[in-house]
Amino acid sequence: MPALPAEGDLLELREFPGEGDGAALLPPRTAENAPYWDGLRERRLMLQRCERCARARFPVAPVCPHCGAGAHSWAQLSGAGIVHSWVRYQRGYLPEFEPLMPYEVLCVSLQDGPRVFGRLLGGGEPPSVGMAVQAIVERFGGGDCVLAFRGR
Amino acid sequence: MSSSRAQAAVVGIGTAGFGAMAESSVAAMADQAVAAALADSGLKRREIDALLVHIGSPRGLDYDEMAMLLGLEVSYATQTWSHGRFGSTVIATAAMVLELGLADCALCVAAFKNSSFTRIGTAAHVAFFEGMREGGGPHAETPYAGLAAPIGGAAMATRRYLHRYGIDREKLGAVALAQRRAAQQNPLAVMRKAMSREDYESSRFIVEPLRLLDCSVPVDTAVAVILTRADRAADLRAPAVHVRGYQGLHAGADEFIFGAPGLGVNQAGVFDHEPLGGQEPVYRRAGVTPAEVGTLHCYDGFTPQVLWTLERFGFCAPGEAADWVAGGRIELGGELPVNTSGGHLSEGHANGWGHTLEIVRQLRGQAGERQIPGLSVAQWASTLGDSIIYASVAG
Repeated sequence: MPALPAEGDLLELREFPGEGDGAALLPPRTAENAPYWDGLRERRLMLQRCERCARARFPVAPVCPHCGAGAHSWAQLSGAGIVHSWVRYQRGYLPEFEPLMPYEVLCVSLQDGPRVFGRLLGGGEPPSVGMAVQAIVERFGGGDCVLAFRGR
Repeated sequence: MSSSRAQAAVVGIGTAGFGAMAESSVAAMADQAVAAALADSGLKRREIDALLVHIGSPRGLDYDEMAMLLGLEVSYATQTWSHGRFGSTVIATAAMVLELGLADCALCVAAFKNSSFTRIGTAAHVAFFEGMREGGGPHAETPYAGLAAPIGGAAMATRRYLHRYGIDREKLGAVALAQRRAAQQNPLAVMRKAMSREDYESSRFIVEPLRLLDCSVPVDTAVAVILTRADRAADLRAPAVHVRGYQGLHAGADEFIFGAPGLGVNQAGVFDHEPLGGQEPVYRRAGVTPAEVGTLHCYDGFTPQVLWTLERFGFCAPGEAADWVAGGRIELGGELPVNTSGGHLSEGHANGWGHTLEIVRQLRGQAGERQIPGLSVAQWASTLGDSIIYASVAG
């Protein structure tokens, strides 16, 4: 097994293999969520970390869901995680993902972090609950970057 | 909850039915439902002084146009978010309005069309923008990850649930089969064709682990429900169905529409959920015990929601519902008939309003072939913790 990336390492970058520029798939950018999205463009997984209880959170929120504190800093996570659950799309809803059908989406428990959703890169092992995965960055044609996962 | 004279009761129901009504305006459908409910109750249109609207635009009519187009003059109007989860909140709010004396006759209406829109989950559907919410979609939709449509979040919760308790996914079929058998005795149901175990197990996967026959059937519909206080209800035409107690929709980091609490999908925590069972406030407020509930009606966009609701409200222990529902227990004639109209899965997805009609019919003794003998207490409940207990006698 390859060594886990350390905090500070850059995430692997891949081009999104589906259709389109992805522009219709991302939520609006705000002053508050910019560090998350900018981080992915720089190949870093950046999440808010609570100043009081030290837990990382997602989605971007003004208040810690665990302890209610507002103060936070931004921390870079390694992107290592465990599959909490997963699904396989046999029916297509979004044209961007049509060429990838059927494709799998994971709910991943990040090491020292919250759960996030991301597509599993094709071509590897089929997913299973408990499987160890590593976050990578997928870049859409329009330049926007999102989290995806591969087995590790 | 309140003195029995001041307690709210359902006194009139009406519907335009369930199915594709592509040529019809929503106003015409709503008019049909409201006229039927008024006739059922014997109340005059001008006696309606509160209007509570569910769903609204763009799928349905908003409260202002509903009042304007249907000739209503009310001094209390409200409308909830355009999601099915607020169905019981609409009824409970009507009950509060009556109990507080803000109005005397409350009309609840859900009228909407799904046939006017493309498939939910696609970018052209009116709900697609919800995947762009700052907190993520209401069913965990995450378009940039390919997690599209409500079924994505439902499938995610289902996989975790099956894994956590070591459940064979085909056991979900008991719910689909039970509700289809009930729907076969419901002339209003859109899905009345017999369904076999083989039909279920060979139906195609939509988003694994959910099959086509785990999914509800989108319909166009209009449903109207009229409530008054019990003292007034006694003089009216139809047998009153009393709103004995209610509790609200829960919200917070640990509340996700799919899964019982503790499953940990979306941002909900991972923990061992200990159901309150009979200690849920709704039972104390209604003055009944879970054992007195003769039929349960619950939100069933997808089959596992029935299992999660049974577990959340303590009808069986966490992880045991898939076995609990086997062997006919939730079918007509069983220990606890569930969703006896066929529910969203087979009657049609009316955002909980078909269930409400069925509760009223059952408690009035007007459910025809589906009638549960000797029924006196019925419960609505959902995976988000909201519940209403209805009874044929006042509390």
